[in-house]
Amino acid sequence: MELTMEQLRRGFARVGYICEENTVLTVYLALVLQKPLLVEGAPGVGKTELGKALAQVLNTELIRLQCYEGLDETKALYEWNYQRQLLRLQIDRSAEVEVAEEDLFSPRYLLERPLLKAIRSDKRPVLLIDEVDKCDPEFEAFLFEVLSDFQVSIPEIGTVTARTVPAVVLTSNSERELSDGLKRRCLYLYLDFPPPEEEIKIIKAKVPGVEERLAWEIARVVEYLRRQEQLRKKPSIAETLDWARALVALKHRSLDGGLVDNTLNLLLKRRQDQLYFRREIGPRGLDKVLRQGRAGGDAGAP
Amino acid sequence: MLPSPREEELFLRQMVAFAGQLRAAGVEVGTAELLDCLQALQHLSLARRDHFKGALGATLAKSARNREIFDLLFERFFDPLQAREQQTKRLEQQEKLIKQLEEAGEALQFKGEPLQLSDDEKIWYASLPEEGKAGLQRFLKATEEGKKVEASFRPLLETVVRGQLRYWRSRADAPAGEGGAGSKLGAPGLRHLDLKDIREADLPAVEELIARLARQVSSQLVRRQRRLSGAGAVDFRRTLRHNLQFGGCLFKIKYRRKQPRRQQLLFLGDVSASMSRYSTMILQFIYGLQTSVKNLELFVFSDNLEHLTPRLRQGGDPGQIVEQLVRRSKTWGGGTNIASALSTLAGEYASLLNMRTTIIVVSDTRTVTLARALEALDRVKTRVKRILWLNPLPFSEWSCYASVKAFAQRVEMWPCHTLAQLEKIVAGRLLQKNVSGKEVGNEQAYCPGR
Repeated sequence: MELTMEQLRRGFARVGYICEENTVLTVYLALVLQKPLLVEGAPGVGKTELGKALAQVLNTELIRLQCYEGLDETKALYEWNYQRQLLRLQIDRSAEVEVAEEDLFSPRYLLERPLLKAIRSDKRPVLLIDEVDKCDPEFEAFLFEVLSDFQVSIPEIGTVTARTVPAVVLTSNSERELSDGLKRRCLYLYLDFPPPEEEIKIIKAKVPGVEERLAWEIARVVEYLRRQEQLRKKPSIAETLDWARALVALKHRSLDGGLVDNTLNLLLKRRQDQLYFRREIGPRGLDKVLRQGRAGGDAGAP
Repeated sequence: MLPSPREEELFLRQMVAFAGQLRAAGVEVGTAELLDCLQALQHLSLARRDHFKGALGATLAKSARNREIFDLLFERFFDPLQAREQQTKRLEQQEKLIKQLEEAGEALQFKGEPLQLSDDEKIWYASLPEEGKAGLQRFLKATEEGKKVEASFRPLLETVVRGQLRYWRSRADAPAGEGGAGSKLGAPGLRHLDLKDIREADLPAVEELIARLARQVSSQLVRRQRRLSGAGAVDFRRTLRHNLQFGGCLFKIKYRRKQPRRQQLLFLGDVSASMSRYSTMILQFIYGLQTSVKNLELFVFSDNLEHLTPRLRQGGDPGQIVEQLVRRSKTWGGGTNIASALSTLAGEYASLLNMRTTIIVVSDTRTVTLARALEALDRVKTRVKRILWLNPLPFSEWSCYASVKAFAQRVEMWPCHTLAQLEKIVAGRLLQKNVSGKEVGNEQAYCPGR
């Protein structure tokens, strides 16, 4: 049975992946059109998490291919198990048995890597190709050939065609511009940092025991810091959650500037950014931001 | 109710027209994308505007930059009411502008004749606070009523008025505090803006953009260096040793890795009054390449040469340091003497010049003693691998300057007045040995022998 958009929306909420309507819509279109989904956005906005959440929603296997410089077909697609083949040769030689070549190049001696595994899966898996911008352009060209036909040729065996078209999610941190060919084959989603009201929902979903007031204050402070253009590394969602967990563990029920200052290492991870915060904003500046938010009746303000 | 064939055709035409508008704005939309888009729309109800827009966005605009253009065009194309409002606003603004020009023309007069000021300067005047306007009026009146005031005073007076206007403008452009109204062009806009036109309010965003571009280009350079240095010949010694565990069967071949030769990058930035903005920003970008180019030496020059690298080794935020250094530099804002700068380089810093050195010069080539500068350039050129000249003058103006022609015949020269051009040149040219005249932002480079 095909998934409806409403089911997908509920599914994401069920697995704790809080996202905007546009994200649900684009993922839904990628699923119904059977197209790979290219997700771009700043580090820490939940690109990889989207792939993981989708696998949970579809109740299927997540196959992950982490891209890096130098990644090639042998590590992404398949490789022959040379050690095992060699052993077989030596055993057969000592037993004085003649080995047929086709025996050595049979699926038994094939090491499946993520792409082949996804193609040979019986149930539609989620194939997460993470940080695709880190791989070399040659590998990218190979990748978009695989993604367009969902079949690969293994010279010794023949062509392997996908039994089911995997749901493919590619993520990129825009370290380099991806080729037009790859982009043409994908649907595109740009994930931005969530607005405070969404972030409050994420904090409440992921951090057990966090109080309403604390969740609002955390979201407000993080949003304020992300607006500071001088900060080179803005706090990501993962960092926000770590910070929230730390505050809950320290049994804090509300925030003030001093507390933010004391726990700043969890939020800002560049020395220059911490110096900027202490010089230009400081605990008093943050107190003011929190007061203004409450007085202004921001979304979710206690 | 199902749409009639006529309605369907109209809708299709509209979609094709929208794709055409996207293409005209530089978004790469092919037939495949358009077909994907139409297919996506079949799975949605067109009654929901956000779904309609989301489907178009996911299939037609496939980068952050394209998404911004898409958002702008979508509103204009599919919301005629808003487009009409925008047009009315534009007309109102135009009328306001004409009024401002007339007001300034009447107010800024000397002996009954309007001062020769550009339209921009007149608009600055119109947007001055009242105290600024009154001050200028008082000054003009006092000059007019002074003793022995001749008509020849006019150019001097115009220069003073221009200076005053610039002062007020720089005050208005000072970084806005929290909630202040800074200009927000966004990264794509800033990349294609002439560096000299970037406003003070946009500088933090530009610095961030420069740092990001430098990181991107840096990783590309490292990648390319590794690829070029690729696997070399078979290393027999290591291969035999490694394969002893397999009973001497050559199971895994080990290769020697070629050691890449380190290239030396030398940056020479012209910081004379007209060039300082370009040089400061390009210098920040080059400084950001440190991770990929280990041997980096930075110099600035106007009437003489100054070595910046020793001061940069003290650490801290590179953007701020470069800005401060250039401002503190003894040569900042002076006249340009390329001959003197190159002679000092060849004499006092001779050890930095060798066949692994690439020199990047940022200058508009306008210099005193052109002949001597060309001789000095010829001398330096024979001692280094290559010289890459980034010229902030628009390519269309190059033919107007004899100095540009003369320098471009000797070295590889590229137009470079936006960050987008800079990124393209550095990423594409820095590691290339043979340069042909490929395009940089629709413009071509002058290269020797072409």
